[in-house]
Amino acid sequence: MPFALLLASAVVACGGEPTQGIARGGQLFDTCAPCHGTDAGGNQHLGAPAIAGLPAWYVKSQLDKFQSGARGMHPADTAGIRMKSMALALDLAGDVESVAEYVASLPRVAQAATVVGNADAGRAAYAVCSACHGVQGNGTEALGAPPLAGFSDWYHAVQLEKFRDGLRGTSPQDIQGATMRPNALTLSDEAIADLVAYIQTLQ
Amino acid sequence: MIERMVLQASSYAASVDGLILLITVLVGFWFLMAEGVFFWLIFKFREKPGRKAMYITGEKKSHKKWISIPHGLVLVCDVFIIIGAVKVWYNVKQHLPEPDYEVRVIGQQWAWVFQTPGPDGVLDTDDDIQTVDKLHVETDKTYHFKLESRDVIHSFSVPVFRLKQDAVPGRSITGWFHPTRTGTYDIQCAEICGIGHGVMAGQIVVHDAPEYASWVSDNAAAQ
Repeated sequence: MPFALLLASAVVACGGEPTQGIARGGQLFDTCAPCHGTDAGGNQHLGAPAIAGLPAWYVKSQLDKFQSGARGMHPADTAGIRMKSMALALDLAGDVESVAEYVASLPRVAQAATVVGNADAGRAAYAVCSACHGVQGNGTEALGAPPLAGFSDWYHAVQLEKFRDGLRGTSPQDIQGATMRPNALTLSDEAIADLVAYIQTLQ
Repeated sequence: MIERMVLQASSYAASVDGLILLITVLVGFWFLMAEGVFFWLIFKFREKPGRKAMYITGEKKSHKKWISIPHGLVLVCDVFIIIGAVKVWYNVKQHLPEPDYEVRVIGQQWAWVFQTPGPDGVLDTDDDIQTVDKLHVETDKTYHFKLESRDVIHSFSVPVFRLKQDAVPGRSITGWFHPTRTGTYDIQCAEICGIGHGVMAGQIVVHDAPEYASWVSDNAAAQ
């Protein structure tokens, strides 16, 4: 990785722009791999979710938010702050798109259930979520709602808590976050566990 | 001289620069002298017809003086450096002037988080203002900072203040600064702290009194 980035930097320093695309995305992803894993399967200990197979539009939208400060700027959002800083390393035009394309091309990594909750109770609560995220949790690009089914359940729980507690979704620039936050405001820890347990049953 | 390259914006920046300049001048003088004598000797005793190379043991007084006299003079210079260094070190690191404000500085991979007193001017109260990447302070006030780390060792470095202090997990390290010039200046991490170390940058915004009061008022309400 360092060699690839050094090479890329050297090319830029010599006046040449690197060719953007999935190959460069793969090179840039070496910076993401220490936390998200080389297979992008995530690492709960580092607060880094599984991202392999997320749609490119969603990866790009989140990287854009981290770069603009719409996400990852709450003082208590330790993992978000970490991601905000790393997103700033994608500083050449087209870098974000290239990484997003690469991440989207990776095969999804099966995620074990880590959150214990009552999936039956969560099914009813999910009715609200399905309006944007889809009945099967496959997401809706037009609404900026990412797919949920098959991704890290612990991450979903953590993000719902962040939305509820105001660590995420409070920036005026974060339109989707502002939509999520009121939906999370009424959720107790137990309700979040139930909801996430239900999402984990969707495939 | 150094200020032409990096501004001096704290009360002790000039003294740190003075010390660096003193060391540079003394060490630089002896470096140039040593190199000058070295090349002069090479030239003076270069190969000449009829003169053979000769091994000398360096025991004669006339030979030893080339080492002993500079050695003694360098030690005299060291005394000046040590006196200057101890004075600066004491002022910056050992001595804590009475603060006007306290702030908390928290390093984490890979950003700086700051906790600043709210309108009551007291840290660790409900009206504190928390910020990421930007520390807002008032000029001509003395600050105590409580430096902490959430994960690994970082180093809180403000070049225009000539301030650098490691942040160690599990410890709260108290230091001080006194901004003397308004403006926005860089904060950096000066300790390799992981893959994002290079992007762990922040800014310190030094306001004048009315501007700072306005910032506190606006942001305390926004918290």
